[in-house]
Parts: sequence; structure tokens; C-alpha cells
Amino acid sequence: MTDKNLIQQVTSSEYKEGFVTDVEQEFLPKGLSEDIIRQISARKEEPDWLLEFRLDAFRKWQKMPQPDWAHLDMPAIDFQDIIYFAAPKKDKDRPKEIDPKLAETFDKLGIPLREREALAGVVAVDAVFDSVSVKTTFRQTLQEKGIIFCSFSEAVREHPDLVRKYLASVVPASDNFFAALNSAVFSDGSFCYIPKGVRCPMELSSYFRINARGTGQFERTLIVADEGSYVSYMEGCTAPMRDERQLHAAVVEIVVEKDADVKYSTVQNWYPGDADGKGGILNLVTKRGICKGSGSHLSWTQVETGSAITWKYPSTILKGDYSSSEFYSVAVTNNHQQADTGTKMIHLGRGTKSRIVSKGISAGVSQNSYRGLVRMGRGAVNARNFSQCDSLLIGSRCGAHTFPVIESQQPSATVEHEATTSKISEDQLYYCNQRGIAPEDAVSLIVGGYAREVLSRLPMEFAVEARKLLAVSLEGSVG
Amino acid sequence: MGHGKYIAPPEGQYQVAAGQVLNLQFTVLPGESRDVDVRIDLNGPGAEAHLKGLYLCKADEKVNFHIVMHHRAPGCRSTQLFNGIAGGTAQVRFDGTIIVAPDAQKTEAYQENHNIVLTDTARVETKPQLEIYADDVKCSHGATVGSLNEDELFYMRSRGIPEAEAKTLQMLSFLSPVIPAGQEEEIEKAVRSL
Repeated sequence: MTDKNLIQQVTSSEYKEGFVTDVEQEFLPKGLSEDIIRQISARKEEPDWLLEFRLDAFRKWQKMPQPDWAHLDMPAIDFQDIIYFAAPKKDKDRPKEIDPKLAETFDKLGIPLREREALAGVVAVDAVFDSVSVKTTFRQTLQEKGIIFCSFSEAVREHPDLVRKYLASVVPASDNFFAALNSAVFSDGSFCYIPKGVRCPMELSSYFRINARGTGQFERTLIVADEGSYVSYMEGCTAPMRDERQLHAAVVEIVVEKDADVKYSTVQNWYPGDADGKGGILNLVTKRGICKGSGSHLSWTQVETGSAITWKYPSTILKGDYSSSEFYSVAVTNNHQQADTGTKMIHLGRGTKSRIVSKGISAGVSQNSYRGLVRMGRGAVNARNFSQCDSLLIGSRCGAHTFPVIESQQPSATVEHEATTSKISEDQLYYCNQRGIAPEDAVSLIVGGYAREVLSRLPMEFAVEARKLLAVSLEGSVG
Repeated sequence: MGHGKYIAPPEGQYQVAAGQVLNLQFTVLPGESRDVDVRIDLNGPGAEAHLKGLYLCKADEKVNFHIVMHHRAPGCRSTQLFNGIAGGTAQVRFDGTIIVAPDAQKTEAYQENHNIVLTDTARVETKPQLEIYADDVKCSHGATVGSLNEDELFYMRSRGIPEAEAKTLQMLSFLSPVIPAGQEEEIEKAVRSL
């Protein structure tokens, strides 16, 4: 009885990032063709090789079918009904001045763009608004250490050799349908290069915002950590509330050289659609890293609370001997949200290690799936994997699914997978209530405890945000 | 074809009504390639299904398990345990799905698949899957792929047990939860032949 009321309250919890910024923008016309791609490329004054790369990807994409293997009820996407490029008009004034309206937008979202306001200089931010990067902070400080952190377009202009060397080296243009689409039309994103032996002194952060109506966002992130370097990278995203579905197809590539260490964290809070499942972002993302050199390390941490549909599998290729990787994920789905997310760990090198911890939480009438692959290649002597995938169900109309695949071709490799599905037990709730903790607080306490292993991996600035998000996403839900 | 032998009820579909208990045992011995395809529907409250599987491969066998356990009614219980050893150039595939229908509350479903790989050329693929559409459930699955434990082997060898014998003991203890009653000798013989 009261349970039902409480569950209803969940559906009424609001998406507070749903506002629209009224800023003058310029668009390319709707639709996708070689001509549009040439226009995007021309507008960004790209070199010929990059235009060729785009066109090649586009030709491959045209021949690919849209994948349908995920446990998702995916609406048909009309790729000709999307605007592939939108930019705030004052683009030409950059980077001297940031449009006050944009600054206000990012202020509202709590993203510090003016450096003096930043958290005592611990986070450098690259903010991407629709198709262009509007501001990158702390470049000076980073430059002194030889670190390159800038928008993708700038990187193409200023460091073409680096970009050319690493672009599509981890996610080839023809990797999958959405990666090919991204390769053809990607607009902006962040580029980050950490030179040999440098420990990045601050968290690097990209902030993505979809603003314009009818547009898609196709950003591309490329992170290269050279030998012995370290970087912690964070990514956040939001979008206005609209009753149309908007497409977000990003590609993230990470190259980790010998003994380097990369920590990649995401808090994904795209607009999830309203309580009836109208609108929301289709979040179709390809993220992959390669531990190229021996002893390298890559760690993925993600908190997924937004998007109407999430299709995302941050993966690691463990090529270097004794390299290691981790994947920590909390995915929350509510109302009509659908998530099909997980990871791939491809073990190729000797003594490689990986660890997967995935915590799914489903409420409302949502569907939440974990999909993973652990492959032990012939060369993965003494390799080791451990996977733990737990699901928590809140309410009787949601679904939680687990689809792990384990493949081993190496007798000395060890793979362990375990998964459990359960709900918040009445005993746990009773225990809390008895001690004067209100049901809602008890749920948030229990969910917090359930997700703690993952949340504790987030950088401090993100952990606070993620905890708040979890509480809002599940406000008042007692199963 | 050696002493290959397959002891199991016929594959196919099983309908389990309220209160009924279904027990199935699958045994695939060396030399036998098999596709085991089983679908079980638990249709009434209190229905139970318990599956055990054992497979041993030493040459170029291809063993495929495809199991669907469908909990269609509340209060049902199912357990699955499949343990196997793959040597030679064998290819083993375990594809098991547990589906819990909406409203099949108070379900308990457990599934485990453990594999030991003996050679570089054997290949094991396991896909334990859960599809759950009800909330008051206890479901878990586990899968492992690995080799014989070196420490155990060392322990036994340091106490004078020959290597081959120690390995046999390890394999037998690994298989013991799924060895069908009355077939201990036959299984032991098969393990020694690996």
C-alpha cells in the first residue's frame, strides 16, 4: 500500500538539468550524406587525411546493419532526421571569451569554467556544448608539464601527428555501426596526451552538454598515456528535457603505454525521458582502451543513471604482459529506462589481470542488463579474471538480466564469474525503521552500501555528485 | 570409438507441474560429442527441477549444453550444477539461461558451471545467463574456468603421492558433486584415461 505510493514518488523525481539554454546557434541542415560530412570537415578546417577518414567510415557505415542483439527495445532511428552539427554562434570569439549564457549554463550544472572558481585547482575542464568544445581550463598549468589537454579540433590543428598516429588505433572506423557513424560525423571532444613519466597533477574532466533540438551529439575522446605516466580522467553529461529522442553516439579511445596508469570515470546523467518513457537520450557509446605496454593499467568506473536507452561496453584489450584492468559500474534504471551495459576484457598478454564489479539497480518498469565478455587468448598464460555482477530489483515490474560470456583457450588462465539477483530485504528495511530511519533514507542507505565498492573508486569530486544522483534517481522507492 | 557413453534422459522439453520435482543427470564420457538441448518449464507453485551434469573430454570432442530453465510460476525452485574437464582439442560450450517470468515471485534459482582446462588446445566457452522479470527472487549463477590447483598438487606430491595419481584425485574431487550414484567406478576409469 504505502509501498505503491512510494514507488509512484520515484517516477515523479525530477531531472534538474533539464533546462534549455537560449543561445544563438548555427546548424548544418538535417540529414547525412557525403556532402554534409564534407561541410563538417570544411567548417572545422580539417586536413585532407581526416576528411578521407570520415568519408571512408561513412562508406563502411552505409553497408552495415544496425545491431539488434542487445536486450533493448530500440526505436527505429531515422538517421536523415538528425542535425549532425550545431555550434554556438560566437564560435569565432573563442577562446578569448566565453559566451556569458554558456558560462551560466555550465555554472548551473556546477561545472567551474572560470579557473579562479575551480576547486582550488584540482580539476581541469573541457566543456563540450553540442558540437563544439567551448572552453578548456588550466591549459597553461598543464602545458608546463608537457601535458596536452584540449578539444579534439584543436588537437587536429596543433598536434596532427599525434592524432593521426592514435586515431582509430583502438576503435577502428568499421568496428561497429555506431562507431562507424561517429567516425564519419564526429564533431568535437577531448584530446589528452600525457608524456613519458609525467604524473598529471590534477583531474582532467570533460563535460558534455546537448542543447539544441533535433541534434545528435557525436563526440570523440582520445587519451594517450605514454610510458610511466598517470592520469585520472572524468566525464560528465547532461541534456535538456525534450519529448523527442536524441541520439548520442560517442567513441572513447584510450592508449596506455608501458607502466602507465589511466583511470577513467564517467557519471552519465543524460535526460532519461519522462515517467511515461517519452523522450530521453539514446546513449550508444563505444569505449575501449588498450593496455599496450607491459605493466600498464587501465581502470574504468562508471555511474549510469540517465538516458532512455544505454548501450555501452567500456572494454580493455590487455595486450602488454602483466597489464591489468578494472571495470566498476553502477547502473540505475527507473521508469521506462533501458540499459544494456557491461564490459569486455580481452586477455592477450602473460599474467594479465582483470576485475569486473557491476552493480545494477532497476526500479519502475525499467530493464537493466549486464553483458560482458572475458576472453583468455592462447598467450594469456597465468592470466586471471574475477567478475561480480549483482542486481538489485525495486518493484515487481522491472527486469534485471545478466549475460556474461567466458571464453578460454589457455589452461593456466583462471576465470571466475558470479552473479546474484535480489531485492532489498524486508529484514534490512525493518532493522533501519526500527532505529528511526525513515523508509526512504533506509533505501538510500542500503543502496549506498550496495554500490559502495564502486562509488569508492570515483574521484572525490565525482563521488559526491554520484551519491546525490543515486539518491535522486531512487527517491522514495521501497520494494 | 573407445568407451564413449552418454547417460542421460532424452533431451527435449519438460513440463513440471505444481509440487512436482524433476531430477536430471547428464553424463558425457570421453570420446562422445554431444549436443544437449533441454528446456524446462516450471509451471505450478512449488515445482522443482534439479540438474546435474558431468562431462569429460580428451580428444576432439565437441560438447554443447543448451539449457533453458523457465520459472513460470511463483514459489518454484531450481538448481543446476555442471562440472567438466576438457583436454585434447575438445570444444566445450555451456549456454544456460534462467528466466523468471513476471509475477513468479519467491523464486529460487541457482546455476553453476565449473570447468577445468587441461591443454593449450582445448577450448571452453561458458554463457550463464539470467533474465529476471520479478523482484522477490533469489537467483545466482557462477561460472569458472581454470586449471588444476598447483598448491594442492604440491601438497600431495610432497607427501609421496605420484603426480598422475594426485591429478586423478584432484579431478575426482572436482567432479564428486556431480558423479551419479552407482557410477563411481566408471567415472573413475574415465578420469584415469584423460
